[in-house]
Amino acid sequence: MTPLARKRDLAVSFAVFLALIVLWEILSLVYTAEAQPGEPMVAGWGTLFTRTLLSLSDYWQGGLGVRSVADGAPRSYLAAILSLASHSAATFVRLGGGLLLGGVLGLALGLGVSWSRWSRRLVELPTQFLRALPLLAMVPLFQLWFGTYFISQVLFVAYGVGVIVFAGVVNAVRNVPQIYLDNARALGASRSQLYRTVILPAILPAMRSVTLLSLGAGWGAVLAAEYLGAQSGLGYIIVYAQQFGLLDRMFLVALLFILYTSMSYWAIERLFARLLVWSPAEVAR
Amino acid sequence: MADPNRRMIELVEVGRAYTRADGQAVKAVDNVSLTVPEGEFVCLIGPSGCGKTTLLQMIAGLIEPSSGAMVVDGKEIDGPGRERGMVFQRDSVFPWMRVVDNVEYGLKCRGVGAAERRSVARDYLKRVGLAHVERAWPRELSGGMLKRVAIAAVFANGGRVLLLDEPFGALDYVTRHQLQDVLLDLWEEPGRTVPTVIFVTHDVDEALTLADRIVAMRSGVIVDDIPVRAARPRDTDSLLLPEMVAIKHKLLGHLGLERAPGRAARSGSAA
Repeated sequence: MTPLARKRDLAVSFAVFLALIVLWEILSLVYTAEAQPGEPMVAGWGTLFTRTLLSLSDYWQGGLGVRSVADGAPRSYLAAILSLASHSAATFVRLGGGLLLGGVLGLALGLGVSWSRWSRRLVELPTQFLRALPLLAMVPLFQLWFGTYFISQVLFVAYGVGVIVFAGVVNAVRNVPQIYLDNARALGASRSQLYRTVILPAILPAMRSVTLLSLGAGWGAVLAAEYLGAQSGLGYIIVYAQQFGLLDRMFLVALLFILYTSMSYWAIERLFARLLVWSPAEVAR
Repeated sequence: MADPNRRMIELVEVGRAYTRADGQAVKAVDNVSLTVPEGEFVCLIGPSGCGKTTLLQMIAGLIEPSSGAMVVDGKEIDGPGRERGMVFQRDSVFPWMRVVDNVEYGLKCRGVGAAERRSVARDYLKRVGLAHVERAWPRELSGGMLKRVAIAAVFANGGRVLLLDEPFGALDYVTRHQLQDVLLDLWEEPGRTVPTVIFVTHDVDEALTLADRIVAMRSGVIVDDIPVRAARPRDTDSLLLPEMVAIKHKLLGHLGLERAPGRAARSGSAA
């Protein structure tokens, strides 16, 4: 793509973004229905970034010299920001732990299974089952198996991520071009050298989409886990706000969520662009 | 120096059978026996599907024979080994390694030190004319350059047997001839034991330019074994020598392009 075309694309994207913001504001002015007195169904930007943001200080549990609202302190922007930061952090830790655990286990199991044709055959059917099973259907089971603790939520995310990574790795290893394996063997590579120097790099392009998929699943899983039973995190705020019909808070947290997911996708894209400098397909993108 | 009395490759009644999708058993290679002395450049020629690539891959140790014995340098073949280098028909250069890393890959697998293998790799890159792209990614190279990398990698690995599977088949005329020269220069490199070569091709002129001996295959069996005695280096005129033309007619017959070996001349005189 030429720099000029890229610039134009960026300009168009930015214009669309602005238009969406304006559209929402217009909607909030036209559609003035309320979920309950003082609680609009569609909150305008002015409301969202003043009253709604301020109200999030309710979720601050105290500390760092800033008292919580429950302790009688007035709402403040500082408490609101601290509250958002701490609940975001709780979500990040659950997501990060799950991604790490699921990613590492999925990769290791996937590579292990790919070692021989027999082990690949053995896991073929169970993997199909696991992939077909909707992740969210497993939430209640995980709660009963592992309780509503932190570790249960991490395990749930790890499960969602792990299944995708595992299936993706097995499939990617199967698709490594035979010519590279033959070449490496003819040059004298041992089995483990074959894995490290040929199979791992050769599956990287496929792992890009696998990683993006599992990241999406991970975000979905961490929210689902927090909806049911967590005492912290962005999902907890959303569910809590829903119980009291506080639509504006739900919307603000959802916006924050969009920001986070977009940033995580962007980071993964950048990471793989870096890892795949050698790939002809990547350079053409 | 190479010892022509030493048997480098010995194939005894080698066969390879496989079952086609329709359940029929097919013999890709059928009872092939072949002895190649050290330092000989053998071209294996035949129509596509005649089993020449299968035979080469068995010598490389990439596939196993269903019957027969295969011995290279006195040792029974058991899987691939670094004493047998292989240049493939399709691009085999690892796209995720820089050019120089590709060339030193075999040495690295064997645990040769970084400095030493780098100097060996650089040396061979220079010889194939690629010193200037040492740090490039393979995606930045043309098809002919990738073949040079593959050849440098195999020579850097120091095998005494070289197996080449239609390596220049997909290249244009000019590049093909350049690479034939590159290959012969490396093969005849002074101060080193001349490697034994099996070069699979379906190009008659290529076989005549390169080979000490041409082995023709058809339907899995060896149908002819012809020594080529013309002096090296061979050029376009060498291919016009009467004995070369005679061999060419024979080979074209084996490839099914002339009715039968020997008959072409007769039918020509009758016309």
